[in-house]
Amino acid sequence: MESQKIQSALADITAEQDPTIKSLKLASLCSALWAERGVELVVVGGSAIEILTEGAYASGDLDMCHATHASLPVRERQEIMGMLGGKGGPRNWQVAGMYLDLLGPVESFARTPFRSVQGPYGTVKVMKAEDLLVERVLVSVYPGENATARKCARELAVVALSGALQMNWNEVLRVANLPEYRNVNECKALVNEVSNELKIESPYHSD
Amino acid sequence: MNLKSKVPTIPIEGSISYEDWLKGRRYRRELSKLVAPGVIRRKTSSSDRRLKKQFNGERGLPFTPTEKL
Repeated sequence: MESQKIQSALADITAEQDPTIKSLKLASLCSALWAERGVELVVVGGSAIEILTEGAYASGDLDMCHATHASLPVRERQEIMGMLGGKGGPRNWQVAGMYLDLLGPVESFARTPFRSVQGPYGTVKVMKAEDLLVERVLVSVYPGENATARKCARELAVVALSGALQMNWNEVLRVANLPEYRNVNECKALVNEVSNELKIESPYHSD
Repeated sequence: MNLKSKVPTIPIEGSISYEDWLKGRRYRRELSKLVAPGVIRRKTSSSDRRLKKQFNGERGLPFTPTEKL
């Protein structure tokens, strides 16, 4: 990406005052710059949930992981973030009026693809909705009740049940049944609870 | 209740365009707030110090109101 285009993108992101658009734009720019060097980044955690649900959950930091086997060497990461006027590093930077955290390799169990948004500066890969739902349901229960995680799971469920976000409901159960989660019943219960409240069909009602 | 999506879907396969993603924001927010009203941003985290310094004592920029999405 040419330097002029990078600077123009950076000015746009810095001026952006909508937190979700700002995150998406920064993810788009960073993804493009990393992709030029052969590394695929993925938005994870609260930022991913926000992009998929608009749930008013995420804070002012953008969490990303790398989906390719290797990440970039520290030196290269620092050089890229230097081009963006970033401060700090080598795994988190203050950039364009927010924070970017690069957390390491992505942890995903679903066999579905990452969700994908054609961002203004490049494609943004977003964590799989199936992984996000099962994980939030788990965190809502263990190690103790977590009301915020539960709200996030409910948001993912309703947006998916409406069809605004495609979810592979069989894959949700497969992931939930893995030793890493073992929370099939909790996932089914939460999805059925949301569908009952809104009187909409649940993929798990016939179970 | 009929919640069949009125906006472009975020697909499993392929991509959603930026324009379509923007178009769907309000509907996704409205859906989310049916089951989790209000701002549900965590009150605290290990990043509080840096976030509150950056965002004038808050943990992030304020969310755009639903009617303005």
